[in-house]
Amino acid sequence: MSNAIKQSGAYLEIVSFHLGDQEFCIDIMAIREIRGWAPVTPMPHTPPYVLGLINLRGAVIPVIDMACRLGMKMTEPSERSAIIVTDIAGKLVGLLVEQVSDMMTIKSEDLQPPPEIIPEAQRAFCRGIVALEKTMVCFLNLDTVIADELTREAA
Amino acid sequence: MTNSTVRRNLSVGQRLWTLGGAALIGFGSMLGIGWYENMQVDTGLRRADDIQQSIDSINDMRVANLTLVLAAMDSIVDREEKIIQPDRLKIIADSLAVLTSGSKQIGMIAEELKAGDLAKSYDSDVGALRQAIQVDLKALVEQGASDAEFGKIDDRIDADGEKLAATLDKFANDGAVVARNRIDSANETSRSSLTIQIALGVIAILAMAALQYIHGGSIRRGIASVRESMLRILNGDLTSNVAGKERGDEIGEMARAAESFRLAAIEKIDLETRTATDRQRSDAERRERESAKLADAEALSAAVTALGQGLTRLANGDLTANIDQPFRDELERLRQDFNQTALRLRQAMGDIALNSTSIQANSRQMRAAADDLAKRTEQQAASLEETSAALDEITSTVRNATSRAEEVGQMVAHTRQNTEKSDAIVGDAMAAMERIEGASREIGTIINVIDEIAFQTNLLALNAGVEAARAGEAGKGFAVVAQEVRELAGRAAGAAKDIKALISKSGAEVKIGGELVTAAGEALRQIGEDVLRIDGHVKSIVTSAREQSVGLNEINTAISQMDQVTQKNAAMVEETNAASHTLATDAENLTQLVRQFNIGEGMNARQTPREASAASHPKPSPARSLIGKVAGAFTGGAAARTLASSPAGDNWEEF
Repeated sequence: MSNAIKQSGAYLEIVSFHLGDQEFCIDIMAIREIRGWAPVTPMPHTPPYVLGLINLRGAVIPVIDMACRLGMKMTEPSERSAIIVTDIAGKLVGLLVEQVSDMMTIKSEDLQPPPEIIPEAQRAFCRGIVALEKTMVCFLNLDTVIADELTREAA
Repeated sequence: MTNSTVRRNLSVGQRLWTLGGAALIGFGSMLGIGWYENMQVDTGLRRADDIQQSIDSINDMRVANLTLVLAAMDSIVDREEKIIQPDRLKIIADSLAVLTSGSKQIGMIAEELKAGDLAKSYDSDVGALRQAIQVDLKALVEQGASDAEFGKIDDRIDADGEKLAATLDKFANDGAVVARNRIDSANETSRSSLTIQIALGVIAILAMAALQYIHGGSIRRGIASVRESMLRILNGDLTSNVAGKERGDEIGEMARAAESFRLAAIEKIDLETRTATDRQRSDAERRERESAKLADAEALSAAVTALGQGLTRLANGDLTANIDQPFRDELERLRQDFNQTALRLRQAMGDIALNSTSIQANSRQMRAAADDLAKRTEQQAASLEETSAALDEITSTVRNATSRAEEVGQMVAHTRQNTEKSDAIVGDAMAAMERIEGASREIGTIINVIDEIAFQTNLLALNAGVEAARAGEAGKGFAVVAQEVRELAGRAAGAAKDIKALISKSGAEVKIGGELVTAAGEALRQIGEDVLRIDGHVKSIVTSAREQSVGLNEINTAISQMDQVTQKNAAMVEETNAASHTLATDAENLTQLVRQFNIGEGMNARQTPREASAASHPKPSPARSLIGKVAGAFTGGAAARTLASSPAGDNWEEF
């Protein structure tokens, strides 16, 4: 993926969303669909951030509370909440976010690496920081945030 | 009347009655005995006659018996004819009928002779004969029986006929004897009765003669003695008594009447002697009285002269006149009365003199007082006029106040109606507010739908963007469109948000407005209650104003009455004034008149005249108390207090 970005060279298309007061974004190419909130079916013996399962046109996919996953307070789901359906390592995963805020195109130079003061393990979540005029947006590395979890679960 | 013992003997009438009675008894007994003996003789003769008749009929029967037997014998003789001749049959039947009818005479004779058995055998004998002749003989003749049978029946008929004839002979002979005996006894009875009648007549004549002698003598003697006594009285012999007073009959009564004449004559002579004595005595008394009367006349003329002089002095006004010389005893009283009268007149005149002086002084004072009173009455009338005018003003003011108060009452009622209307308006406003709220809610719902649509559009635009990105270079234009759509959706969402905010704000405003309207309604209701209270007060004001009006009317009436009274008072005061002036003049005249009388010294100044004090009986003023009440009613008692604080005993006549 990083390779793909580098290869495209000039531009990155991203979708930004809010979790609490913070703003995060992900690569648009990882997104399959964005849908409104719908009630989930809880699953037993799952970590707290795994909210449960939803039926997406016949396919059963898990839904993960991103805020909880990133060590923040649990998200209160509302009608204005959104589920971003992503394709991570060939598996569909729903991410619960408070609000999808924007869809934008950035130059690859604008993506700055995270400060090194953050420990390695935590730094792996973040591919970089996008500094906009008012805020700073953390470019999440979904492979590390979700895939590891999925692989671990699989293991 | 000399009521000496009266013997109880027979009166003249009774004596005559005894004579008549004796005659009646004698002749009556003679008649009775004659009649009785005659009856006896008559009866005896009648019986003898009856017996004689019976004997005659028995003789007829004896003839019939013989005829019958002969007829039977003839029938037996003519038995060859085999039938009895009809004329013989008739003879037989007639003879039998005579014998049968004579059986009653036979019974009577038998009863008289006491020979009943003979009478009974007679009936059976007749029957047997009838059987023998009418039945047996007839049968034998018709059958043409034998001679033997005829001989037998002939014997039977003969025997029966002889027996019957013997019986009838016995009756005839015995009856003749009895009849003769009866006639003899009747003749005997007739002779003895004649003897008895003669004896009785002799006895009666003797008894009447004896009674006539006794009673006639007695009556004759009594009448003769009474006649003698009456002749003596007529001749003036009044001393001897009348004889025969003690007798109980009519002659005794005549004697007693003659005795009363005698006594009355004696009494008349006594009375004449007494009258002559009395007349002499009264003549002497009259002479004495005439001399006494002459002396009295002289004394009377002296007393009249003295009294005349005294009265002349009194008439001349000298009340000191006194009669000192004593009068005769019975006229002395007159002198004392005159002196007393003069003394009383003196005293009375002295009192009149004193009182006239007093009346003079008092009448002068009265005159002055009456003048004052007239002046004050005028003042009072003027005051009353002023009061009346003031009262009219007050009355009109009160009337004005009443009408104003009534207008206020109407206005208040109007206001109350308006307040009630405003209540309804407030309710309407509240309802309108609620409707606004409802509309706002609906708008909110619609806005929510729009918001939802904007959200969904945003999501669709995002998905479109995602798809465009994935399409790479080919999706660039589509990405731009998707972006535009996203912006539109964002704007719609923003607008919806703004509208929502506005709607919620307007809801809050509407709520505040509703509260304000409620508060306004409450305030209006409060105003309504206040108005009601005002209405009550105004009504009471109206009521009291009316009462005041009534009270004022009464006061007005009272004042007009007072005015009339004052007018009358004024008139009366004028009259009083004139009268008091006249009274003063009259009192002076009276004093002058009294001075004409000489009443001697010591009679004046028995009593000093009392002058009437100026303030004898102060009275409480009713008018002042009325004013106090009125003033208290209008100024809350301040005036009343000032009046009450004024001295209680002030003289209202002074004001």
